[in-house]
Amino acid sequence: MDSNKRAAVDRRDFLKLTGVGLVGASSARLLLQPSGQAFASTLNKNDVAILYDASKCIGCLVCEEACKEYNNLPVETAPPSDLSAIKWNLIKQRQGVDPADGPFFSYQCMHCTDAACVMVCPTGALYKDREGFVAFDQDKCNGCGYCTQFCPFGVPHLGDVNLITGQAQAAKCTFCQARIQAGIGGPSCAEACPTGALTWGRRGALLEEAKARVADLIAEGHSGARLYGESEAGGLHRLSILLDEPSAYGLPADPQGPITFASTWQKIIQPLGEVALGTALLGVIGAFLVTRRNIRMEEVE
Amino acid sequence: MTVRIKGTAEAVTICWIPKYTLLERTMHWLHTATFVPLALTGLILYLPFLQPLAQGAAGQWIRLIHRGAAVIFGLLPIIYLIIQPRRLLMSLREFMFDKDDIGWLKGAFGYYLLGKHTAMPPQGRFNTGEKLNGVIMVLSWIAFGITGLVMWFGKGIVPPTLFRWMVIFHDLATIVTVCMFLVHLYLAVAHPLMWAGLVSMRFGVTSAAYAAEHHARWYYGPKRAKRLYEEAKEKAASEAGH
Repeated sequence: MDSNKRAAVDRRDFLKLTGVGLVGASSARLLLQPSGQAFASTLNKNDVAILYDASKCIGCLVCEEACKEYNNLPVETAPPSDLSAIKWNLIKQRQGVDPADGPFFSYQCMHCTDAACVMVCPTGALYKDREGFVAFDQDKCNGCGYCTQFCPFGVPHLGDVNLITGQAQAAKCTFCQARIQAGIGGPSCAEACPTGALTWGRRGALLEEAKARVADLIAEGHSGARLYGESEAGGLHRLSILLDEPSAYGLPADPQGPITFASTWQKIIQPLGEVALGTALLGVIGAFLVTRRNIRMEEVE
Repeated sequence: MTVRIKGTAEAVTICWIPKYTLLERTMHWLHTATFVPLALTGLILYLPFLQPLAQGAAGQWIRLIHRGAAVIFGLLPIIYLIIQPRRLLMSLREFMFDKDDIGWLKGAFGYYLLGKHTAMPPQGRFNTGEKLNGVIMVLSWIAFGITGLVMWFGKGIVPPTLFRWMVIFHDLATIVTVCMFLVHLYLAVAHPLMWAGLVSMRFGVTSAAYAAEHHARWYYGPKRAKRLYEEAKEKAASEAGH
């Protein structure tokens, strides 16, 4: 009878301990989150953005050269077919499209508001700049390559991968972040573009400009003209005026899939996992204390 | 061999009987020696407050150590299978669950945490908790193997969607196995009733009295263990009736 009473109290104690452990683990998880990783996915009309107008692009490749030069990227011997660690801005021509219908398209980082790459980057090398674009700190990158697999646009790439050791470094368009952060100018591609196909400025103003341009294009007979990036991926900081379906340019009509995947992983599964680990640790410590009181070593055979 | 127990003046004689082979113990400790660095390097990529260790050159080293340890971790069961296939399959069969395991789980809380001396359903060489541990280890070895190989060699080859699922499953397997490791570690080094576990995994032998108490089906055989269990239950019931 006496031992039953003692046991009942102890079970309550144990449940209390577990409860305290759960709360403790959850709050520790919140407190230990570094401020830099607090991922702000807010969109501001004063963010900087690039606007690309496919109807004005003549495929002269000046933007590609300006990008290479400013970012000190080695020049390829043959024209590449896709973005790479040393190709951050690439013009592709759509086959069988009339020159009047905008056959070119410039591929570069879309600088998403809900950037999947930033969510999955375990080092903080990829981060949201206060101006809204997705910046990159090369020194922090450890080459894990998660960004290359979670980006809905296939933008980040790993350079010089050693398949056995995994040694690598990711790279992508950085919005020429050093120039923006120092306030000395905009992205080199947009600054260099001779036709006004690539321009940069405040996102709110560019959106208005782009919508007016789309209306004009439709009036001129380009019935497929549309704006891409106003709300995709939470709002892109690389807006595009297309003359056809996004799929005609190899762009995803809805890039949300990988973003939802990344945020479920990072914002639900991982925090729950951390709470589980913390609870297991505190539970074990609690069990140690409870057991020490209940089981005397002298009684053990 | 004699052991002096705290609080008494008498010496107790312990009769030691063999429990784990040299190969079993070697495999256990090599598994430990690879799992711990794998978990630590993995958690560096996972826990936000360890982020500084994941960055730049330090992060490259972390990833290299993770891969080196992973190769050995992955090969151990295969080496075991090659050297002693029958012993490995025997152990795997011992992980099978039966209805005694439900009784053990029901009684475990009171028995191991509150120190109640209730009769527990007789256990084989591995008790229910150890079997759960073993089954999860086998499943997680498979999960870590598949997901890890895809993450190592599949980047850019497999569809990104598959890669993403592999990362998630690798993560989930980490959470489950690290939680289990913490419990396993505690039971092995700090739980008073499990004192013989660490001895047997170090030296291969266990106390006969301990085996009779905790692994009766293995020690006495199933029939006698069941009879003793029924007798113990009847005795407890008649005592409670008085």
